[in-house]
This record gives sequence, structure tokens and C-alpha cells, in this order.
Amino acid sequence: MLSRIWSVNCVRNEHEMEIAIAVYDLTKQYGKILAVDNISFTVNQGEVFGFLGPNGAGKTTTIRMLTGQTKPTSGTVTVAGYDVVRESIKAKERVGVVPEVSNIYDEMSAWDNLVFAAQLYGVAKNEREKRAKELLELFGLYERRTGRAGNFSKGMKRRLTIAAALIHKPGILFLDEPTSGLDVQSSRMIRNLTKDLNKNGTTIFLTTHYIEEADQLCQRVAIINKGKIVAVDNPEKLKASVEKHQIVEVSFDQTQNLEHELASLKYVSKVVQVGDKFRLHVRSTSEAVPLLVDFARENGLKIVSIDTLNPSLEDAFVEMTGLSPEVMATEKEQGKKAVSLG
Amino acid sequence: MVKAWADSLIKAFYIAKKDAKVYYFKAPNFTYGLLIPVSLYLAFSMAGEINSKLIVAGLSSLVILFGTTSIEAVAVVLEKQTGTFERLLVAPLSLFTIVLGKALAGFFFGLILAAVVLFPLAAVSGTVVMNPLLAVIAIAFTSMAFSALGIVASAYAKWVPEAQMLSNFLRFPMVFLSGTFTALEVFPSQLQVVARFLPLTYSVEALRSSIAEPAVTYTYILDIAALALFTIVLLALSTKILEKRIT
Repeated sequence: MLSRIWSVNCVRNEHEMEIAIAVYDLTKQYGKILAVDNISFTVNQGEVFGFLGPNGAGKTTTIRMLTGQTKPTSGTVTVAGYDVVRESIKAKERVGVVPEVSNIYDEMSAWDNLVFAAQLYGVAKNEREKRAKELLELFGLYERRTGRAGNFSKGMKRRLTIAAALIHKPGILFLDEPTSGLDVQSSRMIRNLTKDLNKNGTTIFLTTHYIEEADQLCQRVAIINKGKIVAVDNPEKLKASVEKHQIVEVSFDQTQNLEHELASLKYVSKVVQVGDKFRLHVRSTSEAVPLLVDFARENGLKIVSIDTLNPSLEDAFVEMTGLSPEVMATEKEQGKKAVSLG
Repeated sequence: MVKAWADSLIKAFYIAKKDAKVYYFKAPNFTYGLLIPVSLYLAFSMAGEINSKLIVAGLSSLVILFGTTSIEAVAVVLEKQTGTFERLLVAPLSLFTIVLGKALAGFFFGLILAAVVLFPLAAVSGTVVMNPLLAVIAIAFTSMAFSALGIVASAYAKWVPEAQMLSNFLRFPMVFLSGTFTALEVFPSQLQVVARFLPLTYSVEALRSSIAEPAVTYTYILDIAALALFTIVLLALSTKILEKRIT
């Protein structure tokens, strides 16, 4: 169904087809605070581009500049070939934006919300109702189309917000934390939709707290920290960049006070406790495993499990942002809290 | 260029229609728009300060002032608070179109409020409106100017109580300084100068002119021009304030 209702409204001309979003030397300063510091990157036409960073890194400010909500202090942004500041209306016509918090009109029905969105985007009168019907059916909301949107569940509101962002068939879709706070079923639906939209040619700019989600969906990822881009690459290359540290995950029959002792072992550069397991960053797993067996024997411990892990995108994220394991855990916890709220 | 302006105006109407649906045409809003002006009228009349020939114009202007500014203050700030304003900001519209859409909704609201008050009040008080068309034009310009005034407060404010406080700060001095219930000529000369900087003065004057004179007067034209100027300046100011606030 998606391919039937989809024909991408994006590119300005053949020459600009390859670049959907181009960001050059972008800076945003609020008084003395430098929120975004001279960042540059491009997003290719038809890719899913992840934009990751810890809280306060400058993600939201960047998205606000990319979607024309905030003017940059300096630098330029072109979206679908149009300068977001000088040709903002043309750029906005080609973009759909799904903000972190669903922002539909609670007082209006699902149907009226979509029709209003279509009116704002200049969708032709004879197309509006057809599009609204197609999208409501696609998102499983057609039966509730006349109901007040304020009475919808969080997942339904999220789906309606995404539907409203798609009403004008944008070529570029900004998804800000699209699955934050949603139940498993709604999250899966949105992830599948993201993949389908992308398959049909839509460029997706995705920010998410869930690094695993970015790993699953994104062809390339940018990591922003303290207002600066610290890496732009595909997830596998980012993982490979931290492969100099191999990881051994071990659990013992008791966990108390072991972190410090494990960290003092030869070849171990870092220890992170994850639940009842310890993740040891080591130079070589083949050197570390015998040492761990000796360590267990000497301390009267039993090894419950031992495994070698490949670095994850999260490992790369932690390495590049310099976040401590505690801060990273807090970041993840915030994401989980959002889920439980749903 | 013309197409762009037409497009902008059409989208402003869509915003106005949406605002009317979502925020405006609810009983409490009408009640609030009517309640304060009527209370003020009663307070003045009990003190024996009312000239019955003046009240029709004064009360109608006050109803529009309180009705439109109250509703405008809520409509913009509430949208900013709930995040729906972001929906307007990311849409292909200029900030001015958004402000114009908001003002248009207030404009229609003011027209309806005034219709509810002016003609029934004139009938009850035995006042003959000499030129109803001029009265309607004066009401229309008044509604637009006061809607724009409400948006200034709401563009500046971060939350609803702040917007309401700012609205009161703007409208209550006007009530007493614009010759609403008493003729402006009885004011001290310094206050008469101050009154000339207040849009309510021109609204009351234009309405009084349309009630008293069958033909267009020079004063009436100046009053309408002043209200139009206030509208343009206040809409531009609102756009500028919003731009600063959100970027």
C-alpha cells in the first residue's frame, strides 16, 4: 500500500539528487552558550541517517536549524537543494517533521488533524481527503477517524503525528525520537514503516536514544558531542574503529567488590558492570581468558559464564563521546523511563 | 508574487478556521468577553457617570477589546505550551502568515461579539445607528487592531498567566484613558494627548461617529486609518517578537 500512495516530493533538479541535506559550518550560539559548534555533514538522497548524541549535545538545536525553526548564528543548511534560511518555504514544502513530543491538536479529530496538515502544505483540495483516508488506513486509525485525538493512546497519537508529517509526501522525513515512550508493538510498527518509507525513496533523518535502533535502521550515523560532530560513518565502520579493544563478558557466582580488582588485571583497560556481568575491555581475548580463570581460582569464585563480544555501536558511541559508563547508563535509563511512561 | 500572497492569505484563513474550531467558539469565551465590559459599565452607571448617548459605542468597543485580547493571548501561548505551534513553524508558512491567521480568527470572533452587543444595546437604549455600514466597518477595523494587540502579549509571554497579565497591563489603562464611558473632551489636556496613542480611543470615536452621523466624517476616516495603522504595526511587532522568542 505504501508504494501505491507514495511518490516522493523532494528533489530540485538532477544535479542535486544525490544530496538531500547539506550542512556547512553550522553554528548556533545562545548568548554565551555555544550549542552547536561549526558542524558540517551531508545526508545522501534515499538514506536513513542517524543523528546520535548524549543529552545536551546539540541534537535538538541542530534539528531545529535543519527544519527552519531556528536561524543559525552562522553557516548554511540546504534541504532538497534549498537554503533553509533564504528559501525556507520551498525547503519546508519538501520536508516532513515528526517532533519528539507528539503535537497533534487534541481538540480536533484524527481526520481534521490530517486535513488541516494537508491545507498547511498546500495539498490540492481533491487530494486531501484521499490522502487522509490512505494514511489513516495505513496507520490503523481509520475506524477512529472522527474521535477526538485527545482521547487517543500515546501510540495512536504518535502514529497520527507521523501520518500528519507524511500528508504531503515529503521527500525528506525528520524523525525525532520516533519510538520514545512507545510500547513494543507501536515501536516495531514505526521501525517497519521507517524501513518501508526508505525503500520507497524517502530520506530519513533519525535521532534516537536507542542506539540499537540506529544500528538496525541507519545506513550512516553522525555522533555529536558538546556541539561538535565527532564521527560520521556507517555503523559497521564506527564499530570497527573501537575494535582495538576486544571485550570479554564474564559473570561469577558473586559480584561484590570485583570491579576494582578486575580492573587491576594485566591487559584489562576498562571494566564496566552490566547487571550481574562484567565487561572487560582487553587487548586480546586469548590473553585475558586464562587470566580470568586464574583470577576466579585465586579468589574462590566460580565462573558462571564467559563470552567474547564484538564492539557494539554503543561502545563506539561511548568511546567517541567520552561518556562515563554511569552517564551512559543514565542516558539509557531515560530512554527506558520514556518507554515505561507509554 | 501575487500567487505567493494569495497562498499566504489562504493558509492564514485555514489557521483562523482551525483556531475558531479549537479555541474560540466556546461559551466561556463569549461570557468572558461580555462579562468584564458589562461589569465596568454597571460600576460606572452606579456612580452616575454614564452618558447614555456614549455607552453604546464605548461598551461595544470594550466587548471587542476584552473578547479578542483574551482569546488571542490564550491561543498563541497555549499552542506554544502544547507544542502544536511547532507544527505551524515547520509548515511552509512565513511567521507573518501564522500571526495573520491568528489575528483573523480574533477578528471574526470580535465581529460576532460586537454584533451580539451593539445592535441589541442600541435597540434597548433607543439609540439610532445613523449609518450601520460605517458602524460595521468600524467594528471590523477595531476587531483586527485588538486581535493584533492580543497577539503582541501572547507572542511575548511564555505561559498563559503571563499573557493574561500582559493583556491586562495593555487594556485596563485604555479603558480609563480612551473616553469609553465619558467624552474625551472632559479629560485634562495631557491625558487627551495620551489617549491619542491608544487604539481604543479611535475605535470608540469611529463608532460614535457612525452612530451620530449619517455620512462619513473626516474624524471617522482618520479613526479608521489610525486603527489600520495600529493593526499593521502590532502585527509586525508580534511577528518580530515571535521571531526573537522562538529563534
